[in-house]
Amino acid sequence: MKEGYRVSEQYTEEPLVDVFVFEISQQIEQLEKLILTNEEESCYSEDSLNGIFRIMHTIKGSSAMMAYNSISSLAHAMEDLFSYLRENKSENVDCEVLSDLILECIDFMKIEVEKIKNGDQLDGECHSLHERISCFLKCLKNGDSVLDISAYKIIIHFEEDCEMENMRAYSLIHNVSRMANEIHYSPENIESGENSIELIRKNGFIINMKTEAKYEEVNEFFYHSDFIKEFTIDQVSDDKEIESLLSIPETADREVSDICRKEEKTSENKEDHSTSMQQNIISVGVGKLDKLMDLMGELVIAEEMVIQNSDLRNLVLDNFPKAARQLRKITAEMQDMVMSIRMVPLSATFHKMHRLVRDMSKKLSKEINLEIIGEETEVDKKIIEYISDPLMHLVRNAVDHGFECPDEREFEGKNRIGTLTLEAKNTGGDVLIIIKDDGKGLNKSKILEKAKISGLLNKPEEEMLDKEIYNLVFLPGFSTKEDVSEFSGRGVGMDVVTKNIEMVGGTISLVSIENEGTTITLKIPLTLAIIDGMNIKVGNSYYTFPTVLVKEFFKARQQDVIADPDNNEMIMVRGRCYPIIRLYEYYGVENAKTNFDEGIIIMLERDEQIICIFVDELLGQQQVVVKVLPEYIRKLKKIKGLTGCTLLGDGNISLILDITGLISD
Amino acid sequence: MALVVELRGEKYMKKVLVVDDALFMRVSIKKTLIEHDFEVVGEAVNGFDAIEKYKELRPDIVTMDITMPELTGIDALKAIMEFDANAKIVMITALGQEEMVRQAIVLGAKSFIVKPFKEEQIVSTLNKFA
Repeated sequence: MKEGYRVSEQYTEEPLVDVFVFEISQQIEQLEKLILTNEEESCYSEDSLNGIFRIMHTIKGSSAMMAYNSISSLAHAMEDLFSYLRENKSENVDCEVLSDLILECIDFMKIEVEKIKNGDQLDGECHSLHERISCFLKCLKNGDSVLDISAYKIIIHFEEDCEMENMRAYSLIHNVSRMANEIHYSPENIESGENSIELIRKNGFIINMKTEAKYEEVNEFFYHSDFIKEFTIDQVSDDKEIESLLSIPETADREVSDICRKEEKTSENKEDHSTSMQQNIISVGVGKLDKLMDLMGELVIAEEMVIQNSDLRNLVLDNFPKAARQLRKITAEMQDMVMSIRMVPLSATFHKMHRLVRDMSKKLSKEINLEIIGEETEVDKKIIEYISDPLMHLVRNAVDHGFECPDEREFEGKNRIGTLTLEAKNTGGDVLIIIKDDGKGLNKSKILEKAKISGLLNKPEEEMLDKEIYNLVFLPGFSTKEDVSEFSGRGVGMDVVTKNIEMVGGTISLVSIENEGTTITLKIPLTLAIIDGMNIKVGNSYYTFPTVLVKEFFKARQQDVIADPDNNEMIMVRGRCYPIIRLYEYYGVENAKTNFDEGIIIMLERDEQIICIFVDELLGQQQVVVKVLPEYIRKLKKIKGLTGCTLLGDGNISLILDITGLISD
Repeated sequence: MALVVELRGEKYMKKVLVVDDALFMRVSIKKTLIEHDFEVVGEAVNGFDAIEKYKELRPDIVTMDITMPELTGIDALKAIMEFDANAKIVMITALGQEEMVRQAIVLGAKSFIVKPFKEEQIVSTLNKFA
C-alpha cells in the first residue's frame, strides 16, 4: 500500500491522471448502461458479460498502473466474478442481486475517481463489497468440483540492461506454459508494445498461473531462467484466491496452448485495426478548447477592428473589400468549426438518468419507465456542464413528487408503470429539453397556499394565470413536500435549477395538468460566447442584442403611440398593441433622441412575448463575442436587462441587452 | 560470479560453437568465452555453415547471430532444432529485432542476448544452459 502511494504521488503531476480519470469515467458510464439495459431484460447476455468483463479488466489494469489499489482490487474481484459467469454460463443467477452488487461497486469507484479528480487520498473502504462479491461467487460455485491444482503468483524482475525485457518475458511465458494449465500475465502486450518494457522494468513482470506442478518445480524453472535478477513466488491453494488470482482478461479464457499458436497473424491484424481506429479520434482537454474559443472570439473582434477601421473611412479602396470579404468568410467558417468541436451530444447526460430513475423508483417502490428521445442533440460542452445538475434535479423531483404509487395509478385508471420522457430537440438557435411525466401533476391550490405562506405572492390570487402559478415553484425557498426524502425536497433546488439555466442564457417553463402530468421545458441556447448580434446606438452608448430575436424594425409616428392608464407607452401595429421601452429612459442615457420621428423602433420577440424598444439608430449586424460583465461591476450594482458586454470593431464597448429581463420588467 | 568460479574447478570445458558473420563479433565472443573456461570448438559465418558445423562438432551450446547472409540465424536454428531437439542455442540479437526473437523463442532458442552485451551476460547465460 505504501509503495502504491509513492507511485501515485509521482504521477500526480502528470497528465496521465487526467487520461485515467477521463477513461475510467467513460468506462464506468458504459458499464452502468450495460447493467441497466441488462437488468431490464432480467438476464445478462453473453455479449454483455464479455463487455462487463472487459471493462472491469481494463479498469483493473489501468488503476493498478496508477497504483489506485482500492479501485483495482475491486475491479479485479468483479472481473473474477464475471469471468466465472461467462465461462460457466450459470443459469440460476439472481440478476437483481448481481446488478445491485455491481452498481454499488461502480458507485464506490465513482467516489474514488472523484477523489482522484480533487487530488485527495483514496481512503475508501471496500471490504464489505469484496466480501459480498466473493460470497456471491461462492454461491454460484456451489456444486462445482474443487480443482486439485494450485495457483502461483510470480513477480519477476529482470537484470538491468538485459534489454528486450518484453521478449524475455515472452520467452518465460513460452516455456512456462508447458507446465501451466492456465496462465495470465501482466503487462499483456509483451509482443508488441514499447511501453511493456518500461512496465516490466518498473513493476516487474507478473505471472499468475494455475498448475499441477509443485512449488519446487516452479521455483526450479525460474531459477534456471537467465537474466532474472530476482523473483518471488506466492502460492495460493485456497480455491477462492485462485480464482481471484487467475484472471487477466483477453487471456483469461485462452488456453495455454494458444500462446504458442499466437504466431498466427490474427493478433497483429487486430492491433493494426485498433490503432487505426484510435487515430481517427483524439481527445483534447476542455481547457484547450476553451482557449481556442477565446482566441476565436479575439480573432472575430480583431477582424472587425481591421475591416471597420476608422483609418479606412472615406478612402477609395479597390481590393480591400474583396479581401475583407474573403477574410470574413474564412473566419466565419472557422468559427463554425470551433463551435462544432465543442458540441457534445446530450446522450451521456440523459443516460445518467437511467440509473437515477432506477435507484429511486426501487427505493420509493414506484414503477417508472424512462423514455429518451433525441439524445443525439448536440449542445456546447460548457452548457452541458451547467444543465446536468438541474436536469438531474428535475428528474429527481418528477420521480419523487410527480409519480404516484402503482396502486394509486391503477386506481386512477392509469398504467401501473409511469412514463418519464426526456426529450431534446433543436429549434433554430435553441435547444429544448423537455422533461415530461404522466404523474399526478401539480396542485394549483397547494402551490398558491404554500406561496402565500412563504410570502411569495406579488399579486392577488384570482388574477394569476395558470402559468404564473406554476412558475412559482421556481422561486427560491419554495417546496411543497413536507417531508424531506433522500432524493429531493429540501426546498433548495428549484431555484438553483432556474439559476443554473439562466446562467447559460436559458429559460425554464412548466405546464401541468392535474392527474395527467407535468411538462417542464428548458430552453437553452446552442452555444455561448459568440452570437449574431444587432448593434444599436442610443446617445453615445452602444447596445447589442441577438439578431434572432428581431421581428421587425420600423419608424413610428407620434400619433401611433398610445398610453395606458399607468402612463406606459404602447404602440398599435397591425391592430395589436405592444409596450414600448425608450432605452434612453431606461438607462438614463443623455443626448439621445427623444422624438419617435427621429429614432427607430425595434420589435423583439422572446418566448412568445413581444416588446418594442426605441433607439437612436441601427449600426448593423455583427458577430459579437459575449463577455461577462466584470465582477466588480456586477457586485457594485445589479443592472437590469444586461447579460454582458462586447467589443465592437471600432473599439467601442457595447452592452448586450437581456431581452427577457426587459420584457419581465 | 560464484558459478563461474565453481565451474573453473571442473575439468570438463563446455564446447561452444560461435556463429556470426562479423569477424569482430566472433573474435570478441571467443575471447570472452575462453577467458571464462569455455572451449570454442568452432566458428560459423552463416546459417548453412552453422548447421554443418553443428552436425559435425556436436557442441554443448551455440551462440547464434540472427542477421546473417545466405541463411539467417532463425532458419539455422530451425534446422538444428529439427536435427537435435535438445540443442542449446542462444541467439545474439540487436535491439529492435523483437519479431525475430519471438520466432526464435517459439522455435526453441534457449535464450537471447542483446548486442551490445556485457561479458558477464554472455557468460552467465551460457553457464545456465550449457
